[in-house]
Amino acid sequence: MKLLAIAKKEFARFFRDRRMVISMLIPGLLIFILYSVMGSALWDEEEHYQFRVYLSGESLATEQITSLAAASDWSVEYLPAEDIAAAEAAVEEGEATALVVFSPGFDEAVLAYDGGTAGATVEIVYNSSAEDSFAFYTLASNVLSNYRQAFYVLPSDRADETSLFSSLLGDVLPFLIVTLLFSSAMSITLESIAGEKERGTLATILVTPIKRSHLAFGKVLPLAGISLIGAISSFLGVMFSMPKLVGMSLSGLVGGYGFVSYLLLFLLILSIVPVIVSAIAAVSTSARSVKEASGYTSVLMIVVMLLSIVTGFVGEMGPWVYFVPILNAVAGMQAVLYMSISLWQALAAVAVNLVFSVLLVFLIARMLSSERIMFGK
Amino acid sequence: MTDEIVRAEALRKTFTLSRKQQKIERTSERRKVAVDGLSFSVHSGEIYGLLGPNGAGKTTTLRMLSTLISPDAGDATVAGHSIVHEPQAVRDHIGFMTGELKLEGFFTPDYLFDFFGALHGVERETLALRKRELFSRFGIDKFAEVRVQDLSTGMRQKVSLVIAIVHDPEVVIFDEPTNGLDVLTAKVVTDFLLELRRMGKSVLLSTHIFSLVEKLCDRVGIIVDGRMVQDGTLAAVCGQQTLEERFFALYEELKGEVV
Ligand SMILES: Nc1ncnc2c1ncn2[C@@H]1O[C@H](COP(=O)(O)OP(=O)(O)OP(=O)(O)O)[C@@H](O)[C@H]1O
Ligand SMILES: [Mg+2]
Repeated sequence: MKLLAIAKKEFARFFRDRRMVISMLIPGLLIFILYSVMGSALWDEEEHYQFRVYLSGESLATEQITSLAAASDWSVEYLPAEDIAAAEAAVEEGEATALVVFSPGFDEAVLAYDGGTAGATVEIVYNSSAEDSFAFYTLASNVLSNYRQAFYVLPSDRADETSLFSSLLGDVLPFLIVTLLFSSAMSITLESIAGEKERGTLATILVTPIKRSHLAFGKVLPLAGISLIGAISSFLGVMFSMPKLVGMSLSGLVGGYGFVSYLLLFLLILSIVPVIVSAIAAVSTSARSVKEASGYTSVLMIVVMLLSIVTGFVGEMGPWVYFVPILNAVAGMQAVLYMSISLWQALAAVAVNLVFSVLLVFLIARMLSSERIMFGK
Repeated sequence: MTDEIVRAEALRKTFTLSRKQQKIERTSERRKVAVDGLSFSVHSGEIYGLLGPNGAGKTTTLRMLSTLISPDAGDATVAGHSIVHEPQAVRDHIGFMTGELKLEGFFTPDYLFDFFGALHGVERETLALRKRELFSRFGIDKFAEVRVQDLSTGMRQKVSLVIAIVHDPEVVIFDEPTNGLDVLTAKVVTDFLLELRRMGKSVLLSTHIFSLVEKLCDRVGIIVDGRMVQDGTLAAVCGQQTLEERFFALYEELKGEVV
């Protein structure tokens, strides 16, 4: 009952304060706007090239160029180059994309080629400082270097879109999530514990006959809930802007994961929240002022961020990672995204994090009963 | 059951001093005996004042009695419960007030009354009844829905006082009731304490202000350096002298002996 009263007060403190709610939701919105703007700046210009290419001589290669360009939604318009010099000038001035000059009898010469001196040449005049001209050059030279060879190299990339981008997600996402969680938990936890201690409102509660463990749980649980709201807002911001940032659709980005993957991901994220909140709560309880508490918290933040990026540097890690709080969830999230997690690993990570949080809450309860920490000079 | 609602027996509290504190106290001792074998009792229905200079150990004593800190030696009973063995029960029977205990400014008196009522485990109906009674008695109903941060110091003080007795405790312990308050707010507090006595509560307060003791207290205990120098009814302690004269006479006597 008393635990409930404490928890209700924490929620009331947050939800009745419009400014607090807004400041919790704003990071997600900002991330969305920022990433979307960055994304459109990165990707929009490249769309729809319409190449205007002067052509002298002839080869079937031109058709291959056209069809490859079409695959990227680009179009090629060939113009006969009657005056080479005028065509070159047009390229220089940006009026045409490029000039391609095939030597006479190009295709026959290529076919007849037996390894001696080359009888055929193709000249491409382009302007690498113009994006479309350079894109055309890259495309054309790609086609031409493979043109009518005795053999073809057939690259076959079996990575589908999901796993291609899962590497991006897998490395960046867990770090992002942990950082977002931490920052949304930080201000409210500091405020709710170190702030109340500094202002003397926590002492007023300590005079009442509430059990210290109930007070500790009554604080940490709602704070974790509220932090999760902030983190979800940031997370949605990331998820909806990420496709724009990397230039593909949301379903292409995450559509490859099934329900179980999402569930595991969610459980893992959920399990980090109480760890982070109770860790910040613990240092806040031990600190004498909000200032001191935020000093400790920034150290804590560095530790937590290190734990969340270390997996990127250390390749293979043994099963022991699943017993290190936070690190286990990060490794778990990555394993989910690379589709290589076993259920027991995920559950072990979640269990370890929960146990660790509960231990921290009991530590907080101990500190709340310590007269040196609560009433020391 | 005697009519001694609070009974302190040989309470002792020692603190370990930090370097900084050693400098402030001008001592090389690591340990400071803040309360040194203190015994006294508060009778039911009276206002008892602990009078002493700065550093006498008043706050330390009251904190021990309200179970915020525990004594190194000795014990005390509050409403029949030992502060050492049943701190939880003691907290059920006391209202503790000091200037250091604050209310969260974001909430209204109405909300905070219910909140602290819940922390004390007061039944909902009892709580509603008590709220109506106390709020009208102390004129809080007019600003019950205004956030504490928007109230004047006097109003805020009233709210703090009323919330300290939300659970209808037999004993109210009050450290430095009028410290740092202007005359108007101080009057709010002293009137409140007199009202409490009228309601049949027992009050234990600490102060270094002679006039406050003279105005409020039935009995007084004078403490210096953590020890009880003299206690009894005001008349018995003072004799023909004023409380101030009596205090300085005692103090000189004591310090004369020590030197
Ligand atoms: N937590 C603590 N750690 C170390 N020393 C303390 C602590 N609390 C009190 N003391 C010391 O114990 C002595 C008694 O302090 P206390 O606060 O009880 O005195 P007081 O009678 O309330 O004085 P004041 O009128 O200044 O409030 C002082 O010398 C003080 O410095
Ligand atoms: Mg004091």
